[in-house]
Amino acid sequence: MMDRHNPLNASFHGSMRSRDSSSTVGSDAREKIKDCFRKFIAFMFTQVGVGALVVCYAILGAAGFMHIEKDSPDEQLEEVRRLRLNCAESLWNITITDNLFNETAWVLKVNEVLKVFQNNITAAIHTGYNGRSAEDIWSFPAALMYSLSVFTMIGYGNIIPKTVWGKITTIAYACFGIPIYVLYFCNMGKVLAQSFKWLYITAHECSRRDDTLFEDGEMQPVKKKITVPSTACLWVISFYILTGTIMFGAWEKWNYLDSTYFCVISLCKIGFGDFVPGANIADSAGGSHLKLVINFIYVLLGMGLVAMCYNLMCEDVRVKVRELREDLKNCLDDITLKITVCMNDTKYYHQKNSRNVK
Amino acid sequence: MMPRRKRRLASRIRDYVRGLLAFLFSNVGVIVLVVAYTIAGAFMFQAIEGGSEMALDKQMSRARTNISQYLWHNVTLALNLFNETEVKERISLELVHYQSTIVSAVHKGWDGGRSSRQWSFSSAFLYSLTVITTIGYGHLSPKTDWGKIITILYALLGMPLFLLYLTNVGELLARWFKCIYALACLCRGCPGFTKRRVARLRPQYELSEAESIERPAAWRGSASDVTADHPADRRGFARRAEYYRSISMPQPHSSRHYRPDPRRGASEPARRSPSVTSDFSYVTFDAQAITVPISVCVTIMVGYIMFGSMIFGMWEKWDQLDGSYFCFISLSSIGFGDFVPGERVYTQRIETSFIVCSLYLMLGMALVAMCFNLMQEQVMHYFAGLKRAVKRLGRCKR
Repeated sequence: MMDRHNPLNASFHGSMRSRDSSSTVGSDAREKIKDCFRKFIAFMFTQVGVGALVVCYAILGAAGFMHIEKDSPDEQLEEVRRLRLNCAESLWNITITDNLFNETAWVLKVNEVLKVFQNNITAAIHTGYNGRSAEDIWSFPAALMYSLSVFTMIGYGNIIPKTVWGKITTIAYACFGIPIYVLYFCNMGKVLAQSFKWLYITAHECSRRDDTLFEDGEMQPVKKKITVPSTACLWVISFYILTGTIMFGAWEKWNYLDSTYFCVISLCKIGFGDFVPGANIADSAGGSHLKLVINFIYVLLGMGLVAMCYNLMCEDVRVKVRELREDLKNCLDDITLKITVCMNDTKYYHQKNSRNVK
Repeated sequence: MMPRRKRRLASRIRDYVRGLLAFLFSNVGVIVLVVAYTIAGAFMFQAIEGGSEMALDKQMSRARTNISQYLWHNVTLALNLFNETEVKERISLELVHYQSTIVSAVHKGWDGGRSSRQWSFSSAFLYSLTVITTIGYGHLSPKTDWGKIITILYALLGMPLFLLYLTNVGELLARWFKCIYALACLCRGCPGFTKRRVARLRPQYELSEAESIERPAAWRGSASDVTADHPADRRGFARRAEYYRSISMPQPHSSRHYRPDPRRGASEPARRSPSVTSDFSYVTFDAQAITVPISVCVTIMVGYIMFGSMIFGMWEKWDQLDGSYFCFISLSSIGFGDFVPGERVYTQRIETSFIVCSLYLMLGMALVAMCFNLMQEQVMHYFAGLKRAVKRLGRCKR
């Protein structure tokens, strides 16, 4: 984490210093170009660099996990096959030993055997049997999805490491990956929030200029600091979710509720794993890889958007709370003033009364 | 004179009450709110999802009957019965089909009659906790439409709440931990250390010995600690005065100079009642300057994970690696769901196992938040130092 921070910090310092020097030197063309170049490098290192780092890390992890998990001997597959053979054997035994013309008795016995078989299979599934071999499961896009789900803390759980080394590597991978992801989250959130704010303010100002032109000529010199309201963020997020809903609904043949559910569960980092894109696709193979990659990008970008909204909403809430506090203070002051005035009045009134009585 | 004293007492009482109320509202209130929200969610999901598993169960038993009928008609009756290998191959083929049916049914949420994947109260509690903590094991997932919608809404409301819980409790724990660290851990097990340190520092701060020993003693005296068997009472008379003098002293900017005496008391200052918060502030005043090194935080987290793996290993018969894998995956809120308590071993105490898991998670998340809080502070400290150094370097160059 610290090492990651270092270039960031350095570039920040660099840009600061360059700004200072440009202000002192003035409008020197070469300095300006240098400044621009420096800024560009800083931008590359901070934003693009972090994004590239995340993607590289994911690809690296995918390759590593593929390498580790693909070679794993498939004990479970063997075990399930053995179970099936046993079941067939016992069925055969029933057929031989029993009276073949009594259908109900035969069906009853077969049912018993099948029930045992079924329970064994469910137990196997709960310990990770998937109906597919490790070769099939750990294709590259799936491994990419897996590493994404580890370091973004989504954890779908449709693909899980089975070997000991796979588990240890997952722990280490998460230890290093989560800080990188958090860095990405913060960075992306800040950048997106700034650009969105700029967009919003531009739009706002455009509309307000029209208004002022219509209303009256006088300009208000008091420029209030504009914060993006949380409803705008919510609109952006819901639009993004809607896009995802339609996209996944078309690809995966889910209905809209299911795909909305998937999008929300993914973007909230809950990740139950009951709906995962590619679970169907892997059967059909073919053009699935592109879709999985697009899904990867969707989730990564969505995280950035969530970070943006988090940033903006925090700011908005802070401003609202401050306003509320000021309002409350004003209100309290008002009330105390009124009460004191009232009290004084009544005191005055009482005094007057008593004097009158006297 | 009398009314004024009374008034002062009243105001002091009011202050205490106010502090207590603030504490209740800010920390206890948040905890209670989270627990209540989770319980409400558990009841809600149980009510919504409870009926859906019956339908799947029936469907599966029907499928079983179907396949045995099919075997009777198409295999036993149709084939030559004396060709063993052929019959077995045929049966095997059918069984493969049946097996894939089972796999897809389990993926749809059928549990095969196992108890961990049903919507009992405690498992629903664990479910709603995994939703708001964003762990999301997925061992239980909503099957009905309404369940899905409610889950979305529940998550949207619950996650900010849990975030609030994390920041609040994390901060509180960080403060307490700093006190514990300052009092007990800084030079535990090295009795001569403080004296040496003080002797080294004496030329710099003349008052340092009195300060460094008196201050925690002042706190401890007021906190009425259990193991108050130290000779602080001898100089207890001048304690307060000394303390107030030491406050007005310029603060040495590095925390290291405040070495409390290496007493192994103060084991549980964290559990003190909130009514002594005003005394507590002495210590926070002291402890705010201290930054806990990152290695200690990492040790705590690793220790907590090891503790969890031990407990779950005993409880669930997982081995050490699987247990720590489970704890890590849970606490980092990844939550694959390949290991969930109550999965492998069917026991009667499965309900308690869920509850223990929930408690472990809630405490663990707060602990992780605390560690992050402390680590962040340390990193900030480090960066401030770095910045200063860089600035000095730049000045030198010019």
